[in-house]
Amino acid sequence: MDAVSWTWFLPEAFLLGAALVVFLLDAVGVRKIEAVGAVSVGAVLLALLAVISDLGFDPLGFLSTLPASVIDSGGGSTSLYAFSSLGLVFQGIFLLSALLVALASLSRPSDEAGASVFYGLLLMATLGMMLVAIAADLIFLLIAIEVTGIATYLMVGYTRKDARGLEAAMKFYIIGALSTALSFFGASLLFGAYGSTNFLVLSQGLGGVTESTLALVGYAFLIVGLAFKVTLVPFHAWAVDVYDGAPTDVSAFLAGGTKKMGVFAFFLVFIGPLSILTARAVSCSGSVCVAPYDFRPSVQLTLGVLAILTMTVGNLLALLQKEMKRMLAYSSVSQAGYMMIGIAIGTAPALAGATLQVFAHVFMKAGAFLVVAGVSALGVGPLIAQYRGLGQKRPYLGVAFALLLLSLAGIPLTLGFVSKFVLFSAAVQASTVPGQSFFFWLAVAGLLNSAVSVFYYARVLKVMYMEPPDPAVPLDGPAGDPTAGLGFGRTAAIILAVVAIVGLGIYPQPVLSAIQSAATHFVATGA
Amino acid sequence: MVPILSILLLTLLGGTVLTFASGKQARWVALGTSIVFLFETFYLLDAYTAWPGRAGLYAVPQYSFSESYAWISLPWLHINYTVGVDGISLILILLTAFLQIATVVYCWTETNRPAAWFGLVLLTCLGSIGVFIALDILLFFLFWEATLIPMFFMIGYWGGPKRRYAALKFFVYTHVASIVMLVALLAVAFYAHAASFDFADIFVATHSPGFPIVTQALLFLALFFGFGVKFPIVPFHTWLPDAHVEAPTGGSVLLAGLLLKLGGYGLIRWAVEVLPQGLAHTSWIVYAVAFASIVWGSVLSLSQRDLKRMVAYSSINHMGIVLLAIAVYSSLGLLAAVLLMFAHGVVSGLLFMASGSVHHSFGTRDIASLHGITPKAPVLATMIMVGSLASLGLPALISFPAEFAALLATWDRLGYWVVVPLLILVVTAGFYLWMMQRVLFGPPQNVPEKAHDLDVYETAGMAILVALIILYGVLPGFLVNVIVNSPVYGFP
Repeated sequence: MDAVSWTWFLPEAFLLGAALVVFLLDAVGVRKIEAVGAVSVGAVLLALLAVISDLGFDPLGFLSTLPASVIDSGGGSTSLYAFSSLGLVFQGIFLLSALLVALASLSRPSDEAGASVFYGLLLMATLGMMLVAIAADLIFLLIAIEVTGIATYLMVGYTRKDARGLEAAMKFYIIGALSTALSFFGASLLFGAYGSTNFLVLSQGLGGVTESTLALVGYAFLIVGLAFKVTLVPFHAWAVDVYDGAPTDVSAFLAGGTKKMGVFAFFLVFIGPLSILTARAVSCSGSVCVAPYDFRPSVQLTLGVLAILTMTVGNLLALLQKEMKRMLAYSSVSQAGYMMIGIAIGTAPALAGATLQVFAHVFMKAGAFLVVAGVSALGVGPLIAQYRGLGQKRPYLGVAFALLLLSLAGIPLTLGFVSKFVLFSAAVQASTVPGQSFFFWLAVAGLLNSAVSVFYYARVLKVMYMEPPDPAVPLDGPAGDPTAGLGFGRTAAIILAVVAIVGLGIYPQPVLSAIQSAATHFVATGA
Repeated sequence: MVPILSILLLTLLGGTVLTFASGKQARWVALGTSIVFLFETFYLLDAYTAWPGRAGLYAVPQYSFSESYAWISLPWLHINYTVGVDGISLILILLTAFLQIATVVYCWTETNRPAAWFGLVLLTCLGSIGVFIALDILLFFLFWEATLIPMFFMIGYWGGPKRRYAALKFFVYTHVASIVMLVALLAVAFYAHAASFDFADIFVATHSPGFPIVTQALLFLALFFGFGVKFPIVPFHTWLPDAHVEAPTGGSVLLAGLLLKLGGYGLIRWAVEVLPQGLAHTSWIVYAVAFASIVWGSVLSLSQRDLKRMVAYSSINHMGIVLLAIAVYSSLGLLAAVLLMFAHGVVSGLLFMASGSVHHSFGTRDIASLHGITPKAPVLATMIMVGSLASLGLPALISFPAEFAALLATWDRLGYWVVVPLLILVVTAGFYLWMMQRVLFGPPQNVPEKAHDLDVYETAGMAILVALIILYGVLPGFLVNVIVNSPVYGFP
């Protein structure tokens, strides 16, 4: 392995540096949203460019600081971090979600209190997510999750004046602490079983019977702990209240960004170690040979059932919602179920499908929340029914929102369709292996669920386009200006999301092939 | 070579976008697009001399005018933009072109958001054309779904009093069926280990000896359900009458004329051609469903009081005969099925237009309260008469050669079972005659004062279809020659 250089962590350094600058600026009295926002957007953009360069696309040429030999070489049995190309893809995804939110928040009132706190926390949360993506050790992973966790608890309540926001922050904090405790307890059991928390050691296992039982209990605690983070049913109830109570831009970040961190944690804990575990030979000491205990079927079944539960409950509850943010929150719960399909199956194609689903979800869910934030800044209330006539009064905003919702519903020629198509194809493909026919029903469940989900998205479209506008709400703004009331930053973020959704929906090949090769490496090396 | 099929798609796509954007002038754009499209179709028919041929029984059929470009390419997933036609798809493209122009002309005076209306008409035709030329699973599914959405809005926005319910029911039934179809097609591709999602690769894979018969049979049944709901087959037919009765006339024409044909075409191309062994081992189920659809469709049709509902139910009966002709699995049967689909598309289009005009003009579609409308509306009465006579299979009109071929093919395969559809045809014919005698002829009763005959646009729209009924009834060889130039099953 090459000698470690700090430049390997250039993207993380950009974020940390920018966070310190933002807090320093706050200390010397520079609190204008334009100033701290520009610093943050710049740092996130630089970090994003660096990550893209490391992935081999290299738009600028000088930002690629990670030697190619380090990527996908796997960590050692004592290392805390390892660079995998799938991890880099996820870093890119996290940075994109941060970029969308940071851009959109530029449009908030320029003298709003707490701007520097918001941006500083956003950068710190993103930093934690970046560390999750390079974790090679369970404790490192859980601490990285906690970095993001603490930053986001504060973000939910940062306005301090809004009682609902504070309540949401409190709820988020308590649930977050609980889930962290469960995860750490699971990690301690695994440490008891294997004497290490390094993923490579975990994946090699020992093959003893006692240790297997202990490890199985440990994995069970980890599933529950991480399930809270990813909002799997039945551990989802907090998410809706938090997404609803938080400032909407923060909801966009939570649903579009931080939740995906849990998805990658699932990848690290359950794909890498377990995929190697099954390939492991019978271990012999002297004349006594022990067949390794295969966790895989029970874990797959558990995750598969959780996936079906999550999709179904999330979708059915979303159907019943009257408020836009709660509807989007439940839809976000159900989307987590689709991602779990890929994790339960665990083959490289399924992993690629799940990753693409995560990638698509950043744009469509964060984009949708950003539109909602913009619309409520125009004076529209929280109910879906209050969106009536939006499509006629604000044609551009209406089309953007419609496209984001259609993508969430998985309508063809959007990225949301492509990701579901790849994911369900991967499920059907995996089910052709004898004894794995369960995966076929995961695909069927996923498809039926996406059919159900069409209804609640279509209902919003109906309200937006088929019902007359409310005369009491002045949606118009100055005549003929499509960005009126939205501001430059939010408009740019929404355009970015819509262009990505439609452009990559029509021609997904570049992103898809990068994700596929990263996923193939990940399954092969387990890290 | 000119990528004529892509040009065809782009013509409709451009036309659709322009129509949506062109406000009050939408009908002119729609008409222009339809005319251009019709001439492109004529060119296609002219250039299609013969099917390129196939080496043996299980050799991959070659398609004309084919184009293929890589779209998504992963180590385990190969999706291409692949299009191509054979005689079967060509005939259905011709049907689409004619129905499109007839519908645009018939709906000329539409005043309720005309840009959206004509745009949706073109979009439905775009989706149908795409289905007929797509030779890749994803592309096929894309167009298949693309027909669903415009029809949903046509029923839901321009429809009758219970339009919301009807649109939703239509959407739920056909969407669930599409999902089953998609899963089954994916399963065909992966379980047969096809090299890509292209029709040719899937064909090779499913015809290789290693593909288990049980899997084929199960997948065929899933596809049969997926395509059958669009047919519609009994017992999944209940969405059809609701959708038709609530749909605006133009929507009904496209629904019966085109969308039902998608089911038939899909069954032929993606189920029977791909999984012939699947059909062979489940044919008794398909026969049973076909007979049930023929009998039950006509029983329901005979018991209707509403003219439009009667035509709607008769579609179930006619599509049942199409299904029977496909199920007998012979070259003659295939010829009959495609001819009958063309015939039914034109005839049911005409009858739906006529019943729409009856409602418009006389304020009711109730057969019992319509008496002797001929003196008041002679042109309309003529249209109804031509449509009814064609529907009951009068020689020299378009349905006759098709139904005759279907019965002959059934006789070849099933022997005396042919009595079932034959008797049903006779009974239906009697009923149509009774309906005509009652509604068209005899002394006028309860004719409202302001009842009127067809306006010039309605007449022109229907006249196109009447001309086709007579032309292809007298000279079915035009169609037959194109269809038999297809890779028909490779059967005796």
